[in-house]
Amino acid sequence: MLLWRQFLMEWKLYARDRAAMFWTFAFPVLMLLGFGLIFKGGDTPKLSVVWVQPAQAQAKDEALLKALAQFPTRLLPMSPAEAEARWSRGETAVQVEPTAEGFRMKVNSYLVAQGQMTAQVVQQAFLVSQSQLRGQPMPTLIPVSMESPGHAKSANYAAFLLPGLLGMNLMSMGLFAVGMVNVSYREKGKFRRLAVTPLPKWIFLLGQVLHRLTVTLIQTVFLLLIGRFVFGIVNEGSYLLLTLVMVLGTACFMAMGFALSSFAETSETYAAISNLLFFPMMFLSGVYFTLDAAPKWLQQAVIVLPLSPFLKALRAVFNDGDGLAGHAVGLVVVAVWAALCFGLAVKRFRWA
Amino acid sequence: MLEPALRVRGLKKQYPGVLAVAGVDLDVARGEVFGLLGPNGAGKTTTLEIIEGLTEADAGAIEVLGLDWKRHGTEIRSRIGVQLQSTSLFNKITPREALTLYGGYYPKSRTADELLELVQLKDKADAYHITLSGGQMQRLALAMALVNDPELVFLDEPTTGLDPQARRSLWEVVRRIKAEGRTVILTTHYMDEAEALCDRLAIMDHGRVLTTGTPAELIAQLAIPSVVELSFEGAAPAVDGFDARIGAAVEVRGDLWEIPTPDPKSLLPRLLEAAEAAAIPYQQVHVRRATLEDVFLHKTGRSLRD
Ligand SMILES: Nc1ncnc2c1ncn2[C@@H]1O[C@H](COP(=O)(O)OP(=O)(O)OP(=O)(O)O)[C@@H](O)[C@H]1O
Ligand SMILES: [Mg+2]
Repeated sequence: MLLWRQFLMEWKLYARDRAAMFWTFAFPVLMLLGFGLIFKGGDTPKLSVVWVQPAQAQAKDEALLKALAQFPTRLLPMSPAEAEARWSRGETAVQVEPTAEGFRMKVNSYLVAQGQMTAQVVQQAFLVSQSQLRGQPMPTLIPVSMESPGHAKSANYAAFLLPGLLGMNLMSMGLFAVGMVNVSYREKGKFRRLAVTPLPKWIFLLGQVLHRLTVTLIQTVFLLLIGRFVFGIVNEGSYLLLTLVMVLGTACFMAMGFALSSFAETSETYAAISNLLFFPMMFLSGVYFTLDAAPKWLQQAVIVLPLSPFLKALRAVFNDGDGLAGHAVGLVVVAVWAALCFGLAVKRFRWA
Repeated sequence: MLEPALRVRGLKKQYPGVLAVAGVDLDVARGEVFGLLGPNGAGKTTTLEIIEGLTEADAGAIEVLGLDWKRHGTEIRSRIGVQLQSTSLFNKITPREALTLYGGYYPKSRTADELLELVQLKDKADAYHITLSGGQMQRLALAMALVNDPELVFLDEPTTGLDPQARRSLWEVVRRIKAEGRTVILTTHYMDEAEALCDRLAIMDHGRVLTTGTPAELIAQLAIPSVVELSFEGAAPAVDGFDARIGAAVEVRGDLWEIPTPDPKSLLPRLLEAAEAAAIPYQQVHVRRATLEDVFLHKTGRSLRD
């Protein structure tokens, strides 16, 4: 009853702060639209090759160009000066320059993945052109296709992005929005008046967690609707399981924000320590790259962080339409984090 | 017989570089209006907030309504009402909502309408907190201190920032709270307020209680119940041996000479004659009863507002 009233009042006050509410809902939607549109492209992405035009084209040059045209490449012919400028700007992954006897190829070390793949294609095209020049039969090449591993049902980038975005959004809501708001309210003395009432801390905190939980669930519905109607991404799994995973994740990251906020006196300190937690968690959770190259102990330590099991479970349901059987351990990790953080938050919470 | 409203012994609080409360003892009986009087930084707020359970003391024993904070925290909170020196609420909550919300935290509560009526805030009942004036916020804070029908009410500078008329009407509210049988503990800088409202007072300075008693007792403690004042145009001149000539201490305060005396009747002729002889350019002579201000001056050697 008290909890319910507290929850309603949180919503009421929240709804009056139009700007904050607008951004809470608009930001993840804009992110999804932005990223989704950039990567929507549709067809197989083309590999760009900068072609430095020689003063006089020889037969070998013509042959290579013809061979390259058979591969999924985009040829960017330009003068040596233009090519040099583009290279210096760091935009070129691979540049091919005909010389008197053969060719010279440069690969951008900053764009390794794209560069290596393109370089390989150029090598193959070179072999093809050599055979043609010598009148030999065309070598048979292994056909290559690009696919996204593990997510066979929805392979476009927006579909891969959506669950990640949901997860990131949760984590930043919890660590940044919720925690920061609490620290700054405490700093401004907005909780002191509550401290002299008999309101139990846990009701106050749980009221906030429930409020944020519903805010996040509404955000999720928005993102799912946009995914569905703009990008045609559908949830492959059960909505019940999806809700379950989302609720668990939200509770976890909100509680984490509350717990963390009890360690900072000022908003400035809070900003620092929340970043200190956010970025390692983001990078170590395998969202952006795998940790195969990392030391063993680090890989094992990372298993206990909640972001990656949460995202794995979310992707399993959303992208693959699987059940949660294989993710029981991961979800327990998330639940344990949620419970520990909430307990810690209640224990350490100070009104002033 | 009911327990006393408040019993405090040996209260101490050290902040970095300042001993904010330096061993305070207080006793407040049920039904009293008790005042803590003292200049800025005297330790009034710190003392109150320790008693209210907001701040932890370094040492000392506290009984609120006969209860101990450690064992009966929730019960104490349910039975006391608190107006903080500054109350910061959520910007977009209205007085009516705040009263209803906070009332909901207590086992029994008074209605928002009744309280808004009491503090004369009905016309702002549905305005956002952030749009209220300082005095209106102050009145809302008072109403919030009464929301749980408390037995003991703490008011930290309840009239600071109020216009003279609002101050008077707040005094009326405090008298009504007392008439309802509640105990009130308030802090103030204002002498007239302390005299008008308080049954008993403690005068505080530098974290200590200098003296305690009814306003009349405190003034009577001064062996000098009257003060003769000579007023000057502009700043008063230096005393320059004049005190020796009349055989009484002369204190220079702004545009006044103040001469405390137990017997103004015999001092006055002597004083006027000596002033005439020394060609003291005074404008007016005024005889008044000693006030709490004089008690404070006497106890601390400085004025309350310095
Ligand atoms: N949180 C704090 N940290 C450090 N020092 C503090 C803190 N709170 C109060 N003090 C110091 O303790 C002393 C007493 O302050 P307190 O607020 O109790 O005085 P007060 O009598 O209420 O004054 P005022 O009339 O200005 O409200 C002051 O010197 C103040 O600077
Ligand atoms: Mg104060």
